[in-house]
Amino acid sequence: MGTARVVFDRWGDRYASRLAGVRSSAVRDLFAAASRPDMISFSGGMPEVSRVPAAAVAQAAHDAILHEGTTALQYGTSNGRPETRALIVELMAESGVRVSADDIIVTAGAQQGLDLLAKTFIDPGDVVICEGPTYVGALQAFSAYQPEIRCVPLDADGMRMDLLEEELKRLGPRGAKFIYTIPNFHNPGGVTMSAERRRRLLELSREYDIPVVEDDPYGRLRFEGGHIKSLRALDDEVIYLGTFSKIFAPGLRLGWLVAPRPILAKVLLVKQAADLCGSNFAQVTAERYFLGTRWRRVLQDLTRTYAERRDAMLAALDEHFPAEARWTRPEGGFFVWVELPPFVDTGALLAEAVEHGVTFVPGDGFFPDGRGKNCMRLAFCYADPSRIAEGVQRLAEVIEDRLELYRAFIAAGAIPAPEEGAA
Amino acid sequence: MREKIAVLMGGRSLEREVSLASGKRVCEALEALGYYVLALDVTADLVATLRSERPAAAYIALHGKYGEDGTIQELLEFLGIPYTGPGVVASALTWDKSVAKHLFAENDIATPPWLTLTADAFKEMGAATAIDLMGEVVGGFPVAVKPSRQGSALGLAKCASEGELAEALLDALGYDTAAIVERWVDGTELAVSVLGDGDDLQVLPPVEIVPKSGLYDFSARYAEGETDFFVPARVSPEIATAAIELAERVHRVTDCRDVSRVDMIVDAEGVPWVLESNTSPGMTETSLLPMAAEAAGMSFQDVVSKVIRAALARA
Repeated sequence: MGTARVVFDRWGDRYASRLAGVRSSAVRDLFAAASRPDMISFSGGMPEVSRVPAAAVAQAAHDAILHEGTTALQYGTSNGRPETRALIVELMAESGVRVSADDIIVTAGAQQGLDLLAKTFIDPGDVVICEGPTYVGALQAFSAYQPEIRCVPLDADGMRMDLLEEELKRLGPRGAKFIYTIPNFHNPGGVTMSAERRRRLLELSREYDIPVVEDDPYGRLRFEGGHIKSLRALDDEVIYLGTFSKIFAPGLRLGWLVAPRPILAKVLLVKQAADLCGSNFAQVTAERYFLGTRWRRVLQDLTRTYAERRDAMLAALDEHFPAEARWTRPEGGFFVWVELPPFVDTGALLAEAVEHGVTFVPGDGFFPDGRGKNCMRLAFCYADPSRIAEGVQRLAEVIEDRLELYRAFIAAGAIPAPEEGAA
Repeated sequence: MREKIAVLMGGRSLEREVSLASGKRVCEALEALGYYVLALDVTADLVATLRSERPAAAYIALHGKYGEDGTIQELLEFLGIPYTGPGVVASALTWDKSVAKHLFAENDIATPPWLTLTADAFKEMGAATAIDLMGEVVGGFPVAVKPSRQGSALGLAKCASEGELAEALLDALGYDTAAIVERWVDGTELAVSVLGDGDDLQVLPPVEIVPKSGLYDFSARYAEGETDFFVPARVSPEIATAAIELAERVHRVTDCRDVSRVDMIVDAEGVPWVLESNTSPGMTETSLLPMAAEAAGMSFQDVVSKVIRAALARA
């Protein structure tokens, strides 16, 4: 049995002031953690690791210890094992990005890369440009270093370059420390940046002399449509973050960072302070897992699974969600972003959704400034198609109840009807 | 043997974090007073924990829904555990601002003119077609729009004209199934805290609230430096006396006990208007009741001691 006892934090007044900007909502966390037996969760972007063959991973880990134990159990180099970096070079080449092993630092997931970049670049008050919405873990990593975060809105083709340009004009050359983007199957937006916008982004980056940070965790999880060249493939000044979390498993905590050499040298200094070096054991295990071709079939199977779940979610949204709702149609990745009429507060809605046995992430957590209150992120990656259909239906009922009120106001002419086709 | 006190806090209210801050201070005070303190979050394990721990009394440091609306009070009555603060009926009726205002009006306690509209009135009966009448009915703009049942001013908006009403109503109805449209009274905002009941009733000095944004909303309440407080309030002795008398009447009319905080506005003519009464006032570092107590020469510990002794006396 659990306990209702509260444990207080006696050190409340001792923490560094920079932590004040790192946001977390206790109530949200509580609702997110709320569980009842048949709870359907659209909250977490968790890979379906049950599809990763346990025997193959066990074999890789076994061999890592048995054959390379003295290395796997030892400290390693700060930038990661040469063999792992060689593997990353191959993986990136398959995605059309040519890099050398010396351009890479192996990190503890791409998340560590975000933290290291933030620590390397951001002084309090520095401007950092993100998409709005953007990855909540990036906001967390950045805000610990007290930047001023500006967000540039997204549409179906990714970050709006016209609005980015306006922002850059205001800021001037070198007016921001970097521009952070998730070009493929955006988290939480679900959209992919078009090839044209990618070219424009790089032009603007050059014109204003502000580096681009390309975060690409989902790039290989494409369900349909043609591959779009990575920003790093188009411009070797781009800082690139990759991860094994979605092509293998997040439990190994393996990611990587590619950057121009001078930046890499600084990041390496910061990384040494953070952890001396990453896990050699995880790296050797990954190297061995990626020998041969089995991992490719596993990845194909995983991608197909996610595609089915995406289909199930879009079909259920089409069937059950009210006409006033708008959502993105991702060609890959994990997430659908839903936008509801402006005064529907999805934070307030979450309490009801939990009571109905379904959870999601309210949109305002993906903005640094309180926007996104009327939005929600739905993760389709972790539930079976039938559960997805059921969950969307439950959620639709909750939303419908709120919208009835909204419609009554429109019918009475008290508020204007929304424009048709507005996204 | 030291008496065991369960301090109830947290829960799934939108005011969870405020409640945890109140609860922490209350726990510290009770411990310093020599009680054996059990800090409890309101979770699904609460009833089982209370049954096995059998506290001598419960200190309610909950704010918002379930803590102030009679839910927890009814539960503690059922479990036979004496608790701090007003009982079931007083909690339920002050929690609903609309019901409380009716009660004020019936007892000749000045409260700004208002109207209450439920979500169903909009959904089922076309109330949105009468938005043009709303300002006029309460005596003209500006008006305040707020959910009828919600604490910490969540969903509160000030509307300068009819054009702003619809959105404010929709926003307020996101927090409750009923919304209040109330005439905006310009003036000095006072919070008057009351301790005790019956013959042992003590009204604390009024605290004057000056939010820098002009609106004492959620962020003005809990973000540091967003609001200036003056205690004692910068009003004439006559007005202070009137406010104190009014708070006492509200406390009695709503049948409150142990503790309540009456929020009012003194208009340009010096008339105090009651906006609402709170049965579980905040007990955080920046809360109004502890501030008022200090001005009256009472420490935070004194307040907590008085409140818990009243609850224990009901055992």
